[in-house]
Amino acid sequence: MSQPKKEPIKNGKIWVVFGVLIALITPWYFPESFGEMLVYGVPLWAIFIIAASLLLSAFLSYVIKYHWMLEEEEEEHEQEGVN
Amino acid sequence: MDLAFSGWSGILILVVYGLIMLGVGIFTYLRNKNIHNSLDEYYLGGRGLGVMVLFFTFFATQYSGNTVVGYPPSAYRQGFEYLVSVPFFIMIIMGYLLFAPRLYKMGKKYKLVTPAQWFEKRYKSKAITILASLLMLYGLGNYLLEQLVAIGQGVSGLTGGTIPYQIGVIFFVAIMIIYGWLGGMRSVAYTDTIQGIALLVGVFMLLIGSIIYFGGLPTSADYMQAYSPEKLGIPDGPGVRNWLSLLVMIGIGAAVYPHAIQRIFSAKSEKTLKRSFSRMAWMPFLTAGVVFVIGIIGISAFPGLSTGESEQLVGKMASAIASQHIIFYWSMILLFGGVIAAIVSTADSILLTFSSIISNDLYGGYINPNASQHKKLLVGKLVGVVVVGILILVAWFPPGTLYEIFVLKFELLIQISPGLILGLYWNWLRRTAVFAGMLAGTLVASFMTLFGASLLGIPSGLWGLLLNTMICIVGSMVMNASAVEEDEAKQVIGM
Repeated sequence: MSQPKKEPIKNGKIWVVFGVLIALITPWYFPESFGEMLVYGVPLWAIFIIAASLLLSAFLSYVIKYHWMLEEEEEEHEQEGVN
Repeated sequence: MDLAFSGWSGILILVVYGLIMLGVGIFTYLRNKNIHNSLDEYYLGGRGLGVMVLFFTFFATQYSGNTVVGYPPSAYRQGFEYLVSVPFFIMIIMGYLLFAPRLYKMGKKYKLVTPAQWFEKRYKSKAITILASLLMLYGLGNYLLEQLVAIGQGVSGLTGGTIPYQIGVIFFVAIMIIYGWLGGMRSVAYTDTIQGIALLVGVFMLLIGSIIYFGGLPTSADYMQAYSPEKLGIPDGPGVRNWLSLLVMIGIGAAVYPHAIQRIFSAKSEKTLKRSFSRMAWMPFLTAGVVFVIGIIGISAFPGLSTGESEQLVGKMASAIASQHIIFYWSMILLFGGVIAAIVSTADSILLTFSSIISNDLYGGYINPNASQHKKLLVGKLVGVVVVGILILVAWFPPGTLYEIFVLKFELLIQISPGLILGLYWNWLRRTAVFAGMLAGTLVASFMTLFGASLLGIPSGLWGLLLNTMICIVGSMVMNASAVEEDEAKQVIGM
């Protein structure tokens, strides 16, 4: 079954999530005390930034895999044709 | 970089490394002899790069030697505020999502070799193509100059001055030009793979050594708590603004680097490109993250360095670790080989893209469009060699008063992005507006940088980009007369 063509830029919801993630990877929302609490030598606010960055990477991988589909099917058909 | 103990072993590593790179060039040349008669084959590796090679060529191009040598000193001076270097590398992949899917499709449909060719196809305007090409050539030339200086310093640092700066530059530039000339994009991408692996292994050994011999993050945090608690603290107002500016500017700016765009055209298939990007989204933790930690460990390992002294931090840490154990001795020499490799791998990608714009857009587009592909290629390669020669002369005798001009690169490069990205999606975009925006953005960014003007702490390149984008959008909406232009645009970008 052929899948519909998709590209990330046309999907508004994706960019709302990216907006939220960008807000999360910017350190504007921490209380002062987060700079004093340490976890294995890393301040708590930095742990949050790292966790949010991991979320951003994970979401990027998800979007790349499932919301970007312009040529793939045609290319696969072309390849099958060649082989 | 101060690693004086490693004189002859350093030379050995560099010579072996140089020979391997040459070998790759000869190997790709022998396997693909028709490469010198086709722009596609030479500049894009025949549009056939698979996942691993494509991933490593993106990786080695994006992370230059500066990431390893220059980022730890920044982390040393700024503390945890410099953690921004991890998310800003992730943002580059988000930047790609704005245009890479569509641009890959356009690249395939119209057999594009260079980014400037996309401007030509989309706007059919000599003025836009030439301005965009010049901005890219200027930015690329500037980058190349930085890399050449870095090669010289790296080589003389690694060998403790046994190989002087100038000899180091000439040796590696000669090797880079030979393997690039022989195998084009294939040589560059294969050597990028070897260079990328060398860099990763070296950086991890430095991290392991730092943790074993200097005590890791908890020791460093104890030190910071006692002597410089601000390095652990949350960034203040201007700090947050700077953080966000970096995320935006690098996210968009580094994604539209012409040599990065050319790699989109080189992908074997959409699937390959997607997989490479997906892996790249995780790399910042393994590279920028690791060198950040190394810089933070440096705070307690070498406390109280001045700004100038802290620039030598990686050399100092590597020296100290190397003297502890023979395994670390050799891995630190490998690390520095890897650093040189990373610089060369960024330089070779830039040179290749530089030559392609000359071959395809300027010479092939306007000077001698009827020339054979072989001739176009030859002109691109020769101009590339001449430009490298001029840049080496500049690196040799740095013109002090002209320094500000060399600072401009990112600021100018990102001015191509509204025309490049908006043009992919928006039929209404008018060529006059694109040209006016690009020119105005360039002028604003240049004047602000050259005269040191600053507004709200936001980089001058972003102000130029903002003006540029506004002129593109508002200008296009005001000029609604040309239905012909809109139809042309629909035909080009219609899916």
